[in-house]
Amino acid sequence: MSRINQAIHDIHYLDEMAERDTGLCRIHPLAKVIVTIWYVALTVSFDKYNLTGLAGMCLYPVILMILGELPVRRALVQLRPVLLVVCLVGIANPFFDRNVLFFIAGIPVTGGVVSMLTLVFKALLAITASYLLIATTSIGNICAALRMLHVPKILVTLVMLIYRYIILMLKEAQRVTEAYSLRAPDEKGIRYKVWGTLAGQMLLRSMDRAQAVYESMSLRGFTGEYRLKGMDRDRGKSRWYAVFWCAALAGLRTFPLFEAVGRMLGM
Amino acid sequence: MRKIEINGLTFRYGSRDRGQTEPVLKDAVLSVEDGESVGIIGANGAGKSTLLKILVGLLPGYSGTVQVCGMDVVTQNLSSIRRKAGYVFQDSDSQLFMNTVYEDVAFAPRNYGMSEAEVEERTLEALRQTGIEGLKDRHIYRLSGGQKKLAAIASVLSMGAGLLLMDEPSAALDPGNRRNLIHVLNRLPGTRLTASHDLDFIYDTCERTVLLSEGAVIRDGKTEEILRDEELLVAHGLELPLSFRFMKGV
Repeated sequence: MSRINQAIHDIHYLDEMAERDTGLCRIHPLAKVIVTIWYVALTVSFDKYNLTGLAGMCLYPVILMILGELPVRRALVQLRPVLLVVCLVGIANPFFDRNVLFFIAGIPVTGGVVSMLTLVFKALLAITASYLLIATTSIGNICAALRMLHVPKILVTLVMLIYRYIILMLKEAQRVTEAYSLRAPDEKGIRYKVWGTLAGQMLLRSMDRAQAVYESMSLRGFTGEYRLKGMDRDRGKSRWYAVFWCAALAGLRTFPLFEAVGRMLGM
Repeated sequence: MRKIEINGLTFRYGSRDRGQTEPVLKDAVLSVEDGESVGIIGANGAGKSTLLKILVGLLPGYSGTVQVCGMDVVTQNLSSIRRKAGYVFQDSDSQLFMNTVYEDVAFAPRNYGMSEAEVEERTLEALRQTGIEGLKDRHIYRLSGGQKKLAAIASVLSMGAGLLLMDEPSAALDPGNRRNLIHVLNRLPGTRLTASHDLDFIYDTCERTVLLSEGAVIRDGKTEEILRDEELLVAHGLELPLSFRFMKGV
């Protein structure tokens, strides 16, 4: 399977995951969106040297993976390209912050290394939380929840259309590259001389299709508001879900769980 | 009551200052009565799709008068017109954008603020009318071309639209799916306007036909009369339908 094909397949896979009838998928999207936002906000609020405190925040994605019956290995594979970018984010830190914080087996560990690890870890957790939200809630329901939070209509529509646009663009990219490779069978990739032309073609064609999708939506009464199935079910459970996680995450943020466990074990 | 009333319709893409002055539709006249099934035929570029898009307000900036269900096609009436006139795109992939068939067919009733019970009733009825009840939980991208076309029609029927506008509905369908679509359309109540250059399909689904050529209405009459007129069809870039050619040969 080509990489483009794989990417299209991955998006469809996420859509299918979100449509499953699991306990986590049945939770009201508003509860899941609030908890995710709360989690990301708390995660990024950790001090740049507080790596052990941050470790406690791993509990949330781990528990959700189990509750949502999500395949961990597949999730990691799907997140692989993003994780690479995340690793690049903090790579410059060790060069700027050379202040030695502690030694491990006689090797000095600088503030730059710790802050780099913290940054990467924060990004990793935030991205995983977003992935978990998408894998358990359809994009339409996420948009509906965002509207309930009074996020401006234009921004929510933008989120929805970008999500749809990614699929359209990938499909157009697939068509263009297939058409190219069929007429240039001896070439391994796409010759750099035609990159510009192909990218332009792909963009124009995907814009045409995106326009058609938007027209189809507006012809069926779409005005930027989302009214989707299942928005009113399991309200009681959803409320408890939101309350429990908001409290638990606040507890993890204020109480250094891993340090306490270490102290209890005499480490 | 007239469902469609068009007088002196002229439309051109682009703007005069960009030099694109050749009109796609020239002084077109057409009226469609309630319950009629009308085929719009013509060669590529005759203006068939443009005409349908104007009727649902996707292409503003025309001159002449266009009325759909008694309302002028102007910005302030678009919401009401679009509730009464459903447009089926030529490319079903552009029309279907939700994850599952049910969600897509239920999209319009939900947007029109109906209760969940009514949404379900309308959605299931539209799926039944198009014979795809069994596909309601299927993901859109797992559907075949024929199933996508039926889902696209169902997504419009669920709005309760009394006027169905279809752009090349038989395009890219295999004979079996095409035959199935003909059966489905012939069972549907309401008014239909079908743009196509598949003349056999028009013969099977429409009692009246309008021939468009270079943006003008050339002939308007009974389907059989127009489709039997080989000279007329050839003069406007079409051919005698296969079924008529066969009969002629026999």
